[in-house]
Amino acid sequence: MRLAVVFTKEAPVRFVSHLDVQRLFQRAFRRAKLPLAYSQGFNPHPLVAFATALSVGSTSCGEYLDVTLTEDMAPEEFIERVGPELPEGVRIVEAFDISYSRKSLTSAMRSAKYSARAEFDKAPGEDAIRNAVSELLSSEIVVMKRTKGGIKPVDIRPMLISFELVKAEADTAVFAICGVLSAEGGLNPDTLLNVLFEKLGVTGTTDVSRLETVLDREALA
Amino acid sequence: MDISKLNSILKKVEKPTRYTGGELNMRVKPLETEDGRRRFRFALCFPDVYEIGMSHLGSRIIYNVLNERDDTYCERSFAPWFDMEQALRENRIPIYSLETKTPLADFDIIGFSLLYEMCYTNILTMLELAGIPKRSRERGENDPLIIAGGPCVCNPEPVADIMDAFVFGDGEEVMNELMDVYAECRRRGLDKRATLLELSRIKGIYVPAFYEPCCKNGVFASLKKLEEQAPDRIERRIVKDLDHAAYTGKLVVPYMSIVHDRVALEVFRGCTRGCRFCQAGFIYRPIREREPDTIIKQADESLDCTGYDEISVFSLSSGDYSHIHELVPIILDRYEKDRVSVSLPSLRIDSFLKDDLEKIQKVRKTGLTFAPEAGTQRLRDVINKGVSEEDLLRSVHDAFVAGWHGVKLYFMLGLPTETDDDVLGIAELARKVSREFYSMPKELRGKGLRCTVSASTFVPKPFTPFQWEPQIEVSEVLRRQALLRNALKGIRGVEFSCHFSETSRLEAAFARGDRRLGEVLISAYEHGARLDSWDEHFNKEAWELAFSENGLTCEQFANRRIGEDEPLPWAHMDAVVEQRYLLNEYKKAYNAETTRDCRKGCNGCFGARCREFCGRTEAL
Repeated sequence: MRLAVVFTKEAPVRFVSHLDVQRLFQRAFRRAKLPLAYSQGFNPHPLVAFATALSVGSTSCGEYLDVTLTEDMAPEEFIERVGPELPEGVRIVEAFDISYSRKSLTSAMRSAKYSARAEFDKAPGEDAIRNAVSELLSSEIVVMKRTKGGIKPVDIRPMLISFELVKAEADTAVFAICGVLSAEGGLNPDTLLNVLFEKLGVTGTTDVSRLETVLDREALA
Repeated sequence: MDISKLNSILKKVEKPTRYTGGELNMRVKPLETEDGRRRFRFALCFPDVYEIGMSHLGSRIIYNVLNERDDTYCERSFAPWFDMEQALRENRIPIYSLETKTPLADFDIIGFSLLYEMCYTNILTMLELAGIPKRSRERGENDPLIIAGGPCVCNPEPVADIMDAFVFGDGEEVMNELMDVYAECRRRGLDKRATLLELSRIKGIYVPAFYEPCCKNGVFASLKKLEEQAPDRIERRIVKDLDHAAYTGKLVVPYMSIVHDRVALEVFRGCTRGCRFCQAGFIYRPIREREPDTIIKQADESLDCTGYDEISVFSLSSGDYSHIHELVPIILDRYEKDRVSVSLPSLRIDSFLKDDLEKIQKVRKTGLTFAPEAGTQRLRDVINKGVSEEDLLRSVHDAFVAGWHGVKLYFMLGLPTETDDDVLGIAELARKVSREFYSMPKELRGKGLRCTVSASTFVPKPFTPFQWEPQIEVSEVLRRQALLRNALKGIRGVEFSCHFSETSRLEAAFARGDRRLGEVLISAYEHGARLDSWDEHFNKEAWELAFSENGLTCEQFANRRIGEDEPLPWAHMDAVVEQRYLLNEYKKAYNAETTRDCRKGCNGCFGARCREFCGRTEAL
């Protein structure tokens, strides 16, 4: 059977790389003694696939993976068995049966919502931030992107679905961002915030948290 | 600790999980016991980066032993990589423990694991980042007690000015004795000196401040005892019953990949072969084995609590384990359904393992490494390696038949009495291995041969029969490397890799050096030497400057033959193996005379103490 799993990656494990998150789950599954299905071939590995990667340092409330088992198991039992084996900062939010599907979760992924906190070295003022956000929304957002063919200008505006200032205090601001996230690529909120910083003429740090990965579950069928 | 500041630097450094802790099975303890007493805080420090330190079995045993004590909380800290060191300095964040993010200066005891000489500057990095004075005499009553253990304690003198005390030998038992005495000293309110005196009464503990070395004509002459009550010699601690000794317990499982990222099962400690260059072969004597049942129990527990899918059978020479042919199939069968693979590092060429190899291959192919060490039979007899060309060729043949096509062959350059014929013999051996592979029918052998010939530089070490030998000069090392590289050219499927010679020379100096090297070390650190075992970061200029500032040279320690009657700077360290025995072995080496494996009958290496420590007067 095939299960889709929604999990969190919170502060204690925010610096764990995507590759290491994969190993972390494989080991947790082994400790939970799940009947894991393995790939064929020279170096068989458990059939576990992640919808998308999260950049190192970011936290998330909604990451997706799918795992194939050799026996049927109720999603509740799966959560009960794996939950205690996960380290602090990784929690399973939901698990559901997708045995009917042979498609990857990535193919059904559409967008993602983020909460981003920016800390400015000097306070730009709420109005300035608000203006900068609406300016960004009303035009192309060209950034230099490293591709196989070298560094090229790319417009990231089509990847941006919504961008709002939620709260602004002296030298911090919180934004709600929604961006495209699909098999073909997506919005990198850090890139967007860097453009904003540039527009405001300030420097600072960002702290991005993914709130939700939006999957079109019907597209899995 | 300012966590948000720490987070902001962790975002910028390479491999941040080196510095975050929070791994599965990390020990978490309140700072007070249930009855409200403050726990002693012990920082177990490894003077190299996380992925190296977490691969060290001994430190992981000590971590478990100390945390099993109710009165102690042992946490870990590792040397930072360059980027993190810089970030910690710039942000004025002191180096901290991974468990509770406590600055190292707030600990009661800091214990360093000294595995190899090239990690010594990292000790200084860690002390400086902790804000702790580097020299023992500069530290006061409020500074932590700084101690060290591990194989380098064989010759502790080069770091003797830094450490308050050393632990010599197996740590499993002595660490508990040390903590018991320390607790008693604290209860009695003793000062640092009085505490150290109490600690020096424990067998195996060396307090260097109680002794003063003297030099004559630029060489070490004698060691004067300054404290009447301190012992004359420090006897190495030996765990007699390894089967019942503490092991790693619940293994901490790192997030990042570490060097040895698997369950290591220590099947025995010690080695009976007596290869004359090998320090481990002498300083871990006598041989002590674990029962197969104990090993399997520990394997079960370790796999259950970690989720690892790989086990390695760990020892100095796994093929020599009495029950190896029993144990390997049991482990393979037991965990096959769980897809656990087994690796057997440190296999000797002469151990017959064909059947085991075939079984190992069923699960997953892991690399095969053989160590003939020298290219000719004559030189292998000099070093008492006791393997023949036939052994090697038979082993690689078996491996090739079993489907392997990658093998690593380890050699050493600069062994005592080595000639160009011996160096060229390495290439001859590689040629025969290549021929062995390509003479097999295509359908029986793997795709293409990948035979790596690796040549390190011989480093004479204390407590070996070669402890009196000089290391060959750097120019000569380079010439022999070139000779070999040239001779290996054109041999099908063979690659060559060799170790950097400057670091080997420094290693030789620190392995056999005396207390004067402490100041050289500190100068080198101040001139920027860091992480010296990472060849690409080796700072040659810093070391040259450091030696010359102290009126010394690296050559006077590394490239000098020590007279047989000369006092040795480490003579007060009693590794239990007799000097007389080592000297006899040294003489036999020059006659290319071999010494039998002591499983076949006692060779008397402990002299009068054979009965006490080994008791192996009969052949096994």
